[in-house]
Amino acid sequence: MQVRGGKALVSEVQEKGLCVDCGGCVGLCPYFRSHRGRVAMLFDCGLDEGRCHAHCPKVEVDLDAVSRQIPGVPYTEAPAGYFRRMVKTRAGEKMVGRAPYQNGGTVSSLLALAFDSGLIDAAALTDREGLIPRPRVVTDVAGVLACASSKYMASPTVSAVHEAIAAGFQRIAFVGTPCQATSVGQMRCQIPGHSENGPIALTIGLFCTWALDARALTSMASAEMDLQAITGMDVPPPPASVFSFKTQNGSVDIPLERVREAIPEGCRICPDMTAEFTDLSVGALEGDTTWNSLICRTAAGEALFDAALKKGYLEAAPMDPAQAAGLLKASAVKKARAMARAREEGLLNNAEGASALRVEPAVVDRILGGTGQ
Amino acid sequence: MSHLHEEKPGNRRLCMGNEAIVRGALEAGVAVAAGYPGTPASEIIETLSALAGPMNLYVEWSVNEKVALEVASSASFAGLRSLAVMKQPGLNVASDYLLHLSGSGTRGGMVLVSADDPGALSSVNEGETRPYAKLMEVPLLEPGDFQEAKEMTVWAFELSETIRNVVLLRTVTRLSHASGTVVMGELPETEKQARFKHDGFIIDPMEGVVMSPPVEWKHSQQQEKLKQAQALFETSPFNTYEGPDAPELLIITSSVCTLYCKEAVALLDVGERVGILKLGTTWPLPEKWVKKHLATSDTVLVVEEVLPFLEGEIKILAAESVAEIGAKTFYGKKEGSLPTTGEMNPDRVVAALSTILGVEYIGQEAAYAQRANEISFAGAPNREATFCPGCPHRASFWSINTALSMDNRNGFVCGDIGCYSMAVLPAGFSTLKTLHAMGSGTGVASGFGKLSPFGMDQSVVAVCGDSTFFHSVLPPLVNAIHHQSDLTLIVLDNSGTAMTGFQSHPGLAANAMGEIAAVIDIPTVCQALGARVKVADPFEVMKTRELLLGLLDEKGVKVLVLKQACALSPEKKHSKAWEMTIDESICLGDTCGCNRFCTRIFACPGLVWDKEKGKAHIDEVVCTGCGVCAEICPVGAIGKGRAEKKGKKRASGGEVSHLES
Ligand SMILES: Cc1cc2nc3c(=O)[nH]c(=O)nc-3n(C[C@H](O)[C@H](O)[C@H](O)COP(=O)(O)OP(=O)(O)OC[C@H]3O[C@@H](n4cnc5c(N)ncnc54)[C@H](O)[C@@H]3O)c2cc1C
Ligand code: SF4
Ligand code: SF4
Repeated sequence: MQVRGGKALVSEVQEKGLCVDCGGCVGLCPYFRSHRGRVAMLFDCGLDEGRCHAHCPKVEVDLDAVSRQIPGVPYTEAPAGYFRRMVKTRAGEKMVGRAPYQNGGTVSSLLALAFDSGLIDAAALTDREGLIPRPRVVTDVAGVLACASSKYMASPTVSAVHEAIAAGFQRIAFVGTPCQATSVGQMRCQIPGHSENGPIALTIGLFCTWALDARALTSMASAEMDLQAITGMDVPPPPASVFSFKTQNGSVDIPLERVREAIPEGCRICPDMTAEFTDLSVGALEGDTTWNSLICRTAAGEALFDAALKKGYLEAAPMDPAQAAGLLKASAVKKARAMARAREEGLLNNAEGASALRVEPAVVDRILGGTGQ
Repeated sequence: MSHLHEEKPGNRRLCMGNEAIVRGALEAGVAVAAGYPGTPASEIIETLSALAGPMNLYVEWSVNEKVALEVASSASFAGLRSLAVMKQPGLNVASDYLLHLSGSGTRGGMVLVSADDPGALSSVNEGETRPYAKLMEVPLLEPGDFQEAKEMTVWAFELSETIRNVVLLRTVTRLSHASGTVVMGELPETEKQARFKHDGFIIDPMEGVVMSPPVEWKHSQQQEKLKQAQALFETSPFNTYEGPDAPELLIITSSVCTLYCKEAVALLDVGERVGILKLGTTWPLPEKWVKKHLATSDTVLVVEEVLPFLEGEIKILAAESVAEIGAKTFYGKKEGSLPTTGEMNPDRVVAALSTILGVEYIGQEAAYAQRANEISFAGAPNREATFCPGCPHRASFWSINTALSMDNRNGFVCGDIGCYSMAVLPAGFSTLKTLHAMGSGTGVASGFGKLSPFGMDQSVVAVCGDSTFFHSVLPPLVNAIHHQSDLTLIVLDNSGTAMTGFQSHPGLAANAMGEIAAVIDIPTVCQALGARVKVADPFEVMKTRELLLGLLDEKGVKVLVLKQACALSPEKKHSKAWEMTIDESICLGDTCGCNRFCTRIFACPGLVWDKEKGKAHIDEVVCTGCGVCAEICPVGAIGKGRAEKKGKKRASGGEVSHLES
């Protein structure tokens, strides 16, 4: 992994339009700040190496190194990464109806158990104010429930991990999109003086095809509705082709193709749909979004899932093979498209100059050759 | 030493040029003086205001120079002698009224003192007073030394009453701020009676309506009077000649340049070849007298500061009189012997003279000069221009700069003149991106704020000082509000005209003479105009930044008043609000996470980087205890405790509470 400084981060990521506001560089120092969904460097820190650059998921990401850290295996062309189990789940009797979950409530239920069982003492989650995402460090189940539901905006959630570490929490959970999870994964390769996982006890990834720039979405939406009246948002499954806001006065749909204009450039080179560098990953179940697709990647993740079933936090059922195949197919398409684009843009395995991604060439070939599907 | 007004006639006193002008005004029996602070003119009103009681004067710091000229003129209309004082850029502000005033004429003697700053020693330009005399058709006097500064001021009042018009007296930094011996004259026992007579025949200059119409008739009267002044100039003792009867080279000069010319002639020892014609009455030219001297030499060098004003007038005169006095060869600024920018000095005159006369002059051996130059800087620390320790502007610009970066729309700040002009430099984090006249930041921002139809999506911010707010920000602010421009005006209210020495202004409860004055509250004014107004303490940097970020997101005109007294203000000087300490066990020093944020970026002179320890520390002598750095340190290593006289009780709170042991 090549690590450079803050100024390099600005020129290699932000000025190229690749920043996805994950917050990996925010909250470590007084130089990087996120405001209303955009990250800025306030002053030149003057250092040649910094944690900001090391964490960033859009520059010098050595996918194999991160994968070996978590889930603990080499990086391959496997579309949804390494996993032990894939099932469909939703909130069990203990959790059902306690918050406006996005889908089945699997994420919130797993976090609730993690707090109740003492596995974690803090969680870095994502709330919102209007259409501006707000990273939060929560310390109990009430905090988890308050952060339920997806904010489809790119969010500096990783900064909440930094905040939790600075505040001295020892067993921190993190929930986030694949880019955010990549940032946290790289952080775990870095944290010096800590045990293997440092103070991070649990990572739950969210499936993601893209996120939206908060400012662009805000200006789009404010023309159509009162932002304070928004209660939630969703991307209904095809053939709907809309982005749907739930508001106090009913839902307001914006054509998907308009909303897509707000996708940051950085999303287009993201090869990860299922948040491969985590303990567990959760998405909407294709065909019935009141359920989740759940992927267990690590032994710790699988153990939490088992306990959740046993204690009534979760309810699970086997996934229909067609749904599983659909998920892998979608993941493979995203991966191949992103690799191709990264290569086209000169952001893959650059011999000279900065590279967004570093991947074994043979793996790239297999991804692009479709052998992984 | 006795006060200026207590000096007996015949006493000799070391006087600053500005004091000499004040004594002149007192000897002339001035009753009213008004001005606006501006270096190098400020001491004139300041000195007069201190003498207001014993000398029975009314003295004010007016809201701006135009108003100062108006206030002074009213006294003249009422038959009193009056003085208006400003630095040259202020004359531009006053010029609109000056054109009307010179057209209407005056009654009691009225003198307008305008101070130029050639070389822009404490200005952002080197504007010229002299062309105004020609433009406004009023007489111009230029003292060449300290005694003359006093004598000329006295005479200027008399001249004004003779021609019934305002007289322009031009001084420059080197005269206003340098000192020389002045012999005192009589102070008159005058009775100062004010009565404005307006019931006479409408165009009667002393009892009618004071106005410039009927224009052609009044204008011709004005020109007649100017000719009368010119006739008086022909025999004026302020115009002198020194040198041989038929010099090889005739130097024509005025103002303090006279001293530089004398020095240069002496240094080159060319007194037998060169004559110096010194003009004290530079507009209109005493043509006959100048012509007489032009006839004595074929070669002429005109020495003056900045633009070739005198040179142009002399050349016109020479061209008109060529049949009489013969053709001349001119040296000066047009031909290139002397520069058209910057201050004049003896070296520059020496250089010109030695070329023209072919005299070699070695002042300093080149090697010696170089060595002298080297060692004169050797022991001196390398210092950048910066704000004082504890200056509210550093804190304000820190918040403004970081807010604009976080706002991330490539926003910028439009500014004007004040200590805060330094925000173009790293001292103010290079935040200021336009810098022009007083109040112009707001006017320029008012325009920028209307450019969104042309695709401009940057955040627009203007800054002004509290004194500037009253001086010239109100009209552009009204303009911006009326036209629904999108901008945020930040009033950097440090409770006084700090840059020029804490002169009073309409936001304060005392006037120039120390009397109680009505306070005009800036936030209330802005609110009444219809702006959205917030007030904050710039020392609370995080709160200030939050407020500003909120305002940047709103449309229309927003005003943020940042109120905190200047670190040098009389009420703050020598007192500390907080006792600052740095906990070295917490300080991150130059590692990732900080890299000397306080000493390298915030860079208050009170914060020092201890290279050996790799930690920051507080220089207790320099630190003013403003407490801002405690908020800026990313890890709360800087603590602030109450600086109480007895004992050292430390306050806990906010970001630093975990530091207290
Ligand atoms: C930007 C984005 C894009 C997504 N795209 C897809 C997709 O293409 N396909 C798919 O199947 N699923 C996608 N998801 C995941 C899906 O929306 C649900 O989050 C997931 O199914 C879990 O549902 P749940 O009911 O368990 O969540 P809940 O129990 O409601 O919990 C949701 C959790 O998500 C976290 N969260 C919300 N917004 C963000 C954010 N912006 N960044 C980081 N964390 C956040 C909250 O902290 C909360 O803990 C996406 C999610 C996001 C945030
Ligand atoms: S992608 Fe994340 S780490 Fe990289 S610059 Fe953007 S916010 Fe910072
Ligand atoms: S900002 Fe704080 S941590 Fe950084 S050098 Fe200064 S005192 Fe030390």
